[in-house]
Amino acid sequence: MSAARLGARAAAALAVLAAALGLACSNDPYPDADRDARILYTAFREPPKTLDPQVSYAASDQLVLANVYEALLEYHYLKRPYELIPGLAAEVPEARPLGDGRVAYAFRLRHPVRFAADPCFAAFGGDARGRTLLASDVAFALQRIADPAVNSPVLVTFARIEGLAAFGERLVRLRAEEPGFAALRIDEQYRRAGPVEGLRVRDPDRLEVVLSEPYPQILYWFAMPFTAPVPWEAVAYYDGREGRPAFSEVAVGTGPFRIARYDKRSRIVLERNPDWYGVLHPEWRAPAATYPTEGAPGDAEAGHLDPAFAGRPLPFLERVELRLEKEPIPAFTKFLQGYYDLSAIVKESFDQVVRGGAISPEMAARGMRLERSVQPAVYYIAFNMDDPRVGAAAGERGRKLRQAMSLAIDVEEFLRVFLNERGIPAQSPIPPGIFGHDPDYENPYRRVDLARARRLLEEAGLAGGIDPETGRPLRLTFDTGDTSVQGRLRYQFFIDAWKQLGLDVRLAATTYNQFREKVRKGAYQIIMWGWIADYPDPENFLFLLWSEMSQTRSGGPNSANFADPRYDALFERMKTRENDATRLDLIAEMRALLERERPWIELFHPEEYALLHGWLRQVKPMGLSVPEWKYWSVDPALREARQQAWNRPVRWPAYVLAGLAVALLVPAVVTWRRERI
Amino acid sequence: MAAWLVRRLLWGAATVVGVLLFLFLLFFATAAPEDMARRAIGEKAPPEAIEQWIANHGYDRPRVWNPDDPLDTMLVEHFRRMLTFDFGRSDADDVPIARRLREGAGASLALTVPLFALGLPLALGVALLVAFFRETYIDQLGVVVAVAAMSVSILIYILAGQYLIGKLLRWFPISGFDADPAVVARFLALPVLIGVVNGIGADVRFYRTVFAEETGRDYVRTARAKGAGDGRVMLRHVLPNALIPILTHEVVRIPFLFLGALLLESFFGIPGLGSLTVDAINANDFATLRVVVFLGAVLFIAAQIATDVAYTLADPRVRLG
Repeated sequence: MSAARLGARAAAALAVLAAALGLACSNDPYPDADRDARILYTAFREPPKTLDPQVSYAASDQLVLANVYEALLEYHYLKRPYELIPGLAAEVPEARPLGDGRVAYAFRLRHPVRFAADPCFAAFGGDARGRTLLASDVAFALQRIADPAVNSPVLVTFARIEGLAAFGERLVRLRAEEPGFAALRIDEQYRRAGPVEGLRVRDPDRLEVVLSEPYPQILYWFAMPFTAPVPWEAVAYYDGREGRPAFSEVAVGTGPFRIARYDKRSRIVLERNPDWYGVLHPEWRAPAATYPTEGAPGDAEAGHLDPAFAGRPLPFLERVELRLEKEPIPAFTKFLQGYYDLSAIVKESFDQVVRGGAISPEMAARGMRLERSVQPAVYYIAFNMDDPRVGAAAGERGRKLRQAMSLAIDVEEFLRVFLNERGIPAQSPIPPGIFGHDPDYENPYRRVDLARARRLLEEAGLAGGIDPETGRPLRLTFDTGDTSVQGRLRYQFFIDAWKQLGLDVRLAATTYNQFREKVRKGAYQIIMWGWIADYPDPENFLFLLWSEMSQTRSGGPNSANFADPRYDALFERMKTRENDATRLDLIAEMRALLERERPWIELFHPEEYALLHGWLRQVKPMGLSVPEWKYWSVDPALREARQQAWNRPVRWPAYVLAGLAVALLVPAVVTWRRERI
Repeated sequence: MAAWLVRRLLWGAATVVGVLLFLFLLFFATAAPEDMARRAIGEKAPPEAIEQWIANHGYDRPRVWNPDDPLDTMLVEHFRRMLTFDFGRSDADDVPIARRLREGAGASLALTVPLFALGLPLALGVALLVAFFRETYIDQLGVVVAVAAMSVSILIYILAGQYLIGKLLRWFPISGFDADPAVVARFLALPVLIGVVNGIGADVRFYRTVFAEETGRDYVRTARAKGAGDGRVMLRHVLPNALIPILTHEVVRIPFLFLGALLLESFFGIPGLGSLTVDAINANDFATLRVVVFLGAVLFIAAQIATDVAYTLADPRVRLG
């Protein structure tokens, strides 16, 4: 082959390559065919671990789960404080005391409601187009919670259903002792393990749930996917064998959406479920299938009650396209390019986007909106009350030390420095929007008062922070499982604050695993921790200091190991009471006790900032993991126009580069040819 | 040759066993089954659920030594599963690992095959070009550009590429992956481009040296004397004679085609085996991690043996024994 022919071939190959690149040249991540569809484009940061509603406890799962499965109850989309509305149930049931301490809840299901079409139904002789939901499906889901093979994390809660825990034990025994039992079909196993006394299926659409003790919070649990009915056919069919996926990787629910594609390491697609009861029966005007006509104060002004939507049947979206985005910065760039409809705000771009708590003029000019909402969560510093220096054993001295340390922490400064002020200082464990939160309450130990703090130390025999035993500053350890530079800086902020009192607090940063082990064993003095509500009830926050929930004694979430009989007595009276004046008084008493005892330094309730493009409508942040997408709406024409305007490729550098390469090679080739000839 | 092959395979097997043992000891030195369970079923899970998870996943067995039943330990189970290729399910989400591998290998190959297919001919072509024009301004410029290109870390290429080409010029999506044929080329263009640019500097330098050495040899002079043209000399004479070092360089790279480009996959969100490995580490997912490590070791050893065998094909004078 001559060099000239070789050159020609290379040039041809390069031209083909350049043409291919030219064709590929677009930063639009979506196929053109989808341009006009009412699709929501959004990102997920972590692949869902499981889609099994009885198992999932992670926000990353609930993103998908809460929209494809439905629970018996839901929350009102707009009203705050949160209000329960009927979901699959026809109404929110009332507690009916049975005497002897037991309580019954009678659920009546909407009828007919259908499970989404799925091959699993045909596998057992049914119709692949799905089947009608029965009360026994709800009972089946609740029985699964007690099945150890399912490994549900919430059995402790649902063990209040009479006979549920015993059912689980019978199941284990039968599987171990009776040959062939474990190979039986799952519904057959559950039937053989016997009925659960507290789950009474009255007829195909009536289920009575009997609790062995009063527990009004159970209704909130019936608004979580843990109780979402699942068809036994799906559990039996999707066993992960012979090429079938595991049940944790599929979803056969009754919800407004169904899964169209589940590549959880890159892309998840939900599409409108044509068999959803809201679509089949708009005439029911079911509260969970109709856009609300009333909301919280301010909702009308914010456009949440737009007459174009209010009272209309849900859902508005045809499809939801989710892409995995592990790195926040590329995700945010794609949002700015218009390829995601909403986004959290990355720290690096915060000042570009938000000014003085409102959206910046540049972003507003692009039609974006900012939705702020305080989350039902609390972050705090916990003292280990079992520790001889900072805990209960140190008596009055320990109490005054904790009070002094609480008075040194300037949480507003912390929020400013580390969180772009995304949070509000916490005065007590209970966040806004939850019964018992008092906006006027100011905790006297949650303001900065160094003079008083020093006086308290003096009274504790620790004048100037000096430990009389050693003659040196009192040395304490602050444990963390965060070894990042960012993390260290945050902890250093607290350590510096305590240094002003003369205390010598040292940071012990270990791996997260080792840190958890220390907390589990109670081998720590000070930690920082957080809690996000499962349900909007003060009990879900105040139980974090209940002695029965102590981390060291019962493995519960009371990491401070706070154990105070007065607090426990108040908690016992408060926990199952309805939201009345007495409950409010009890909460105030508990708050006063915490104020003085200081097992925690309450830090802040985090605030979520979401940036929304102008074409995304009817979004109101919920804070809890609940089905939201059925309420949302998009304007694809506006999106298309904006995307076009924002993403014209800049081509000239490509031409310059190509020209440069040619210019470099030409003299060499010319010389070579001349020398040859 | 047969005896040689058996010897090499035995050495390879010993290495794999060593790797598996080392991985087991290292992993459980830092992570307890409780941590794995908490990662899998959530921070809020009560102790009962954690214990149940540990029992369901077989991590309640004694780790290394069980006086009652020496075969009923985690270590034995670990070896049994790996050596029989019974990979089981992920600790993070209970998905069959074999399925994860199939899906991941697809995505990894979608990135690495174009990278290899474009990168190798391009590096060889440029190296032939600069070797052909050696000691002219093209050669010198080639040295400068190649050395500059190989001095820059791939992280810089990735970040600069994403910023410049993805964000400022808007030629391609800044990151992401979608196997849909309508858009897959868009997603792969930037990581392939970055991978090629990142690799080309070192490759061109290396191959240029190889070619330059060959072009000085007697057979080249003979070929020219017989009247062979420049193209023919470079492609028909120099290239085949330079194959041994090229094979050494390239064949050991083949396992990494399957295992994926760790950093490229992570930064571009390509769901291949490279990012599967990173995810498994982050999620304390021992079941998945050991499979990726095991396969990595096996493939690497296989590739080394294949390289040696390839020598005999490239150069009949080479005998294995």
